[in-house]
Amino acid sequence: MRTHFSLAQLADPDLEEANKILRACVHCGFCNATCPTYLLLGDELDGPRGRIYLIKDMLENNKPATALVAKHIDRCLSCLACMTTCPSGVNYMHLVDQGRRHVELTYKRPLTSRLLREFLARVLPSAERFRWTLLAERLARPLAFLLPAKLRAMVQLTPRHLPPRGLVDQPQVFPAEGKRVKRVALLAGCVQKVLSPAIDDSTMRLLTRHGCEVVVAPGSGCCGSIVHHMGRDALGFARTNIDAWTREIEAGGLDAIIINASGCGTTVKDYGFLLREDGAYAAKAAMISALARDVSEFMAALGLKPAAFATGQRVAYHSACSLQHGQRISAQPKALLAEAGFEVLDVPEGHICCGSAGTYNMLQPELANALLDRKIRNIESLRPEIVAAGNIGCITQIAAGTGLPVVHTVELLDWATGGPKPAALA
Amino acid sequence: MSRFRPTDEKQLAEIVSAALAGEEPLEIVAGGSKRGLGRPLQTPHTLDVTGFAGIRQYEPEELVLSAGAATPLDEIERVLAAKRQMLAFEPGDWRALLGSTGQGQTLGGVIACNLAGPRRIRQGAARDHFLGFHGVSGRGEAFKAGGRVVKNVTGYDLCKLLAGSYGTLAVMTEITVKVLPLPEATRTVALKGLDDARAVAAMIHGLNSSHELSGAAHLPGASGGALTVMRVEGPAPSVEARAAALRDDLKIFGNAEILGDAESLKLWVGLRDASPLADDKDGAVWRVSVAPTAAPALLSQLRHALDFRYFLDWGGGLVWLSVKGGEDGGAHVIRAALAQDQGHATLIRGSAALRAAVSVFQPLTPAVAALSARIKDGFDPKRVLNRGRLYPEI
Amino acid sequence: MLMPTPDAATIARRSEIAAQLRAIVGAAAVIESEDERRAYESDGLTAYRALPLLVVLPSTTEEVSRVMAHCHRENLKIVPRGAGTSLSGGSLPLEDGIILGLSKFNRILELDYDNRCAVVQPGVTNLGITDAVEDKGFYYAPDPSSQIACSIGGNVAENSGGVHCLKYGLTTNNILGLEMVLIDGTVIRLGGKHLDAGGYDLLGVMVGSEGLLGVVTEVIVRLLRKPTTARAVLVGFPSNESAGACVASIIGAGIIPSGMEMMDKPAIHAVEDFVHAGYPLDVEALLIVELDGPPAEVDHLIERVEQIARQCGAVGCRVSNSEQERTLFWAGRKAAFPAVGRISPDYYCVDPTIPRARLPDILNYMAELSKKYGLRVANVFHAGDGNLHPLILYDANKPDELERTELFGADIMKYCVEVGGVLTGEHGVGVEKRDLMGVMFSAADLDQQQRLKCAFDPQGLLNPGKVFPQLHRCAELGRLHVHHGKVRFPDLPRF
Repeated sequence: MRTHFSLAQLADPDLEEANKILRACVHCGFCNATCPTYLLLGDELDGPRGRIYLIKDMLENNKPATALVAKHIDRCLSCLACMTTCPSGVNYMHLVDQGRRHVELTYKRPLTSRLLREFLARVLPSAERFRWTLLAERLARPLAFLLPAKLRAMVQLTPRHLPPRGLVDQPQVFPAEGKRVKRVALLAGCVQKVLSPAIDDSTMRLLTRHGCEVVVAPGSGCCGSIVHHMGRDALGFARTNIDAWTREIEAGGLDAIIINASGCGTTVKDYGFLLREDGAYAAKAAMISALARDVSEFMAALGLKPAAFATGQRVAYHSACSLQHGQRISAQPKALLAEAGFEVLDVPEGHICCGSAGTYNMLQPELANALLDRKIRNIESLRPEIVAAGNIGCITQIAAGTGLPVVHTVELLDWATGGPKPAALA
Repeated sequence: MSRFRPTDEKQLAEIVSAALAGEEPLEIVAGGSKRGLGRPLQTPHTLDVTGFAGIRQYEPEELVLSAGAATPLDEIERVLAAKRQMLAFEPGDWRALLGSTGQGQTLGGVIACNLAGPRRIRQGAARDHFLGFHGVSGRGEAFKAGGRVVKNVTGYDLCKLLAGSYGTLAVMTEITVKVLPLPEATRTVALKGLDDARAVAAMIHGLNSSHELSGAAHLPGASGGALTVMRVEGPAPSVEARAAALRDDLKIFGNAEILGDAESLKLWVGLRDASPLADDKDGAVWRVSVAPTAAPALLSQLRHALDFRYFLDWGGGLVWLSVKGGEDGGAHVIRAALAQDQGHATLIRGSAALRAAVSVFQPLTPAVAALSARIKDGFDPKRVLNRGRLYPEI
Repeated sequence: MLMPTPDAATIARRSEIAAQLRAIVGAAAVIESEDERRAYESDGLTAYRALPLLVVLPSTTEEVSRVMAHCHRENLKIVPRGAGTSLSGGSLPLEDGIILGLSKFNRILELDYDNRCAVVQPGVTNLGITDAVEDKGFYYAPDPSSQIACSIGGNVAENSGGVHCLKYGLTTNNILGLEMVLIDGTVIRLGGKHLDAGGYDLLGVMVGSEGLLGVVTEVIVRLLRKPTTARAVLVGFPSNESAGACVASIIGAGIIPSGMEMMDKPAIHAVEDFVHAGYPLDVEALLIVELDGPPAEVDHLIERVEQIARQCGAVGCRVSNSEQERTLFWAGRKAAFPAVGRISPDYYCVDPTIPRARLPDILNYMAELSKKYGLRVANVFHAGDGNLHPLILYDANKPDELERTELFGADIMKYCVEVGGVLTGEHGVGVEKRDLMGVMFSAADLDQQQRLKCAFDPQGLLNPGKVFPQLHRCAELGRLHVHHGKVRFPDLPRF
């Protein structure tokens, strides 16, 4: 498309990047076809093409975001299905990141919204704070109906039982079983540790069983996605992680940085881009991003040990958006599950988000629920025994809508190669 | 009563203008084979368009042919066959059926009545092969529409409007049609002894298969018992394989026979020409178009009140009836049996008195009738062209 | 692009009108703020933009009917819009008109396999129909390249085609019925699950009418059984002439392929860089011929096509032996537009049709024009039916390139009409080719088409400014020039 940035504007590296992205867009509209919110709302403004247009208008004219514009951009799931569909290579992710930042900087949200976002930004990235908050929310659950819709949704997502802390709770080194072939870092993360420590434990066991020394680097933690997707500055989180992993690389070298929550993986792989203008961190960030691997792509390259017993269960594989669109990883998880002996089923309308999308299910409950209903219908139509996914957000969201056991792909791979049976399958 | 025979467009326009001035309607005639179709006309003058005949341009490799509107269809079919091509929509020769004494039909007649034979289910009707025309409107103005190519969305598709308009909008002088290759070989898979419901089920089964049928018909009254026939056409090796596979697929309906080229040709020409009903000189002949699954129920319903012979074409989507007796040729019963927007019935053969008394064509809803009248206004405001041929107000 | 002068009084009443429409469709379905209206200012033809008065997004036929009736009473213009992927500006807004968007109509209502048809809402995408029936082995045949996103309602408006329309027909040959709303709000049904209809073929007239005659609210489409096999032949030619001759020979041999596409050298290079489909880079033209159907037929015809290709001087002939290979052959052709988008900031796609035999002539002429205007052009086309897609490469950010591009395009279209073709094969006239209608039609021809419009929309409220260059008032068009009193049949023989 034709753009109208002034030379002065183009001196700003972010706007220069936006200009490049906008010029790649030919306004063909293919992206709308696979956008979940366009599907639900049928409004150009709630599809990527319209959002691109809104962001273009705001950035070119340096206009403050209005409530209406913020509404449409807030509705974006950042599922990135549009990027997979786009024939012109428009980097929608980077553009909507800028759009969100602009909204955050120029639009004053209503009080409840501001409070909720502030709360999420402070609590979620810290596992400890999150753990205490959940306990408090459990107490508040019976009174949830009194809360405004946005807060109610959040409270209702609180799990009934908090599992005890897992093995991978603190920074430490887990030695490889047998001969060590790789040394990898495992992203410590934030909410996953609290909601489902079994995922990290399974990941650690799977990796060590396959000859990997697994390091949870001291100082590493939340990847910053949640804060980043609210349009706030998440570079602090990125720098902290980069520092922690760089120290590990200097200490003993790292073959990869393993991430088992695909939402986080997409962000860590973007650290290089996010810090490209930071003199001190640009090179390190690029290196870290280059080492980042989703656990499924890493295991696919490493090679899975043969299954320890006959599996054969019908597993509906839910392809998380951040994994299939964000990281372009679709085939590997399914191939691994098949290799482990499971009967892998493709979910119809698999390219459409489940509605979790980070904090989306708390910030946009109606749309998230509509998407969840659709996803559940599609999954249950397969009559699977198990549902597997590669992202904690999806797992939590889908589990809230079905009685079927929902587990992480690595839990099944761990179990199949000798680990414990996932609790959800008991 | 006068008969005018213009030999070029200018003369034609003058005649129409004159008719317009005097508000004296014209009946458009070429070969006269279709005078018995549609509502009977009472027009003082006849417009003989046989002057507009002759093939103007034929490019086999472009799959296109242009000819004067009154070019005899026989001539066109001969010329096409010589290059191994055809009019794929297989227009029927209804002379025997209609008992016409006129000469053979013309290209213009076939288009104006939107005829199509058994191959309609695969290749479409006349309207789907009609690419462009020159003509003179009922306003006495010469105009053209469409073109010489299939891919054309420049302006409104007036060809579709003119097809099936029975000469009520304009007099066509030159017509361009799409032509397609003649199939190299033909086979017919024939099942015996099926009742209506089983026959339709078998035809649905065949049409939903991957054998690419180009015809599916059912003759309940064939000598030797009911016959359900399905046609495959194409290169010889393909046709052999498909016919055999189709026969296998249809085993649940019985053991089918496979008919070769010559037998097939005879059979499908007969179906195209509605021969099964042609010898029944007194019956009122109707053509009823319904969704194929609705045909058996329709026939059951009609049997309660009418005495008729029939056969099915278009996989059950076309029901040909020849109704005996009754004051209205079965009109009332037939119309009542067709729910709104679920089919239409056209009286193809009936006495002039009958055609004047009943709705020959499917009655239109008030909104569509009003719209049609307004369209007519735009082409022929004084109703000088084939006045009343389609509907009283058109 | 000259559009009808907007009516200031209407624009001044925007809020009032918005309130009235909200009363019909609900607050959320009327878009009034300028920021939001901006997203609707263009469709796929981004060279032209205009802010609409309002955007209305109804959800039911009843709402559409009431909105249209209201607009009719208040003399408000309406621009219907589907997925907004038109390449001819079909849904370019009017400043004093509302955009009536049908994208909320996205449900498939009924799948009737026995009668081989599907009843769908107009906002369902073209590919969405095929997706819904694929598991039963059926599909919807017309496949425009934008099929992932374009709506079936839009397909009806533009009589869309695609690669496979050579064998399977255009949209108009695959539509069985419609429900539509006339400008005064009247809802009518045309056709149905049965073939043909009584009376005038209004269904046929609606297809390709580009939103000027009514708004479609339901479509009944024909479903076909998916062919068992499909195989493709990828052939390189040393010249456009030899490629053109091959196309003619294939047709002349009585073979109608399911798809027959050609690409010229610039196009081949652009896509090969992008997709790496393995296209030969040293040929002047590439032909992809696809045959589909039962294996017996496909295998037989593939051999024949291969033979013909060699006889015509092919310099390399590959036949696909697997579905994967066949998809790879097509990958380049299908990526042609975006591939070209990568080597040029903008491109302009022309859409004329010419008699197949003239393909080499038009290509030579385009080479001349390319020099004349100083702009590159790459060609992909539906060789099977002579529908070309010259892609003229330009940069909208450079002052006069768009203008030169449009002149280039106009020259191409005029030439095509001169040699017996038409302005547009499948994208529609829209605003883009409106002013060239006179190249193909005389004033009398255009007036007669206008009279059809008068029957549907005498006030000219539906999509004004599109398709037809000069609007006469319907009263004027209806006037007859008749000499009263004299019956003049002067010197013609009477019988």
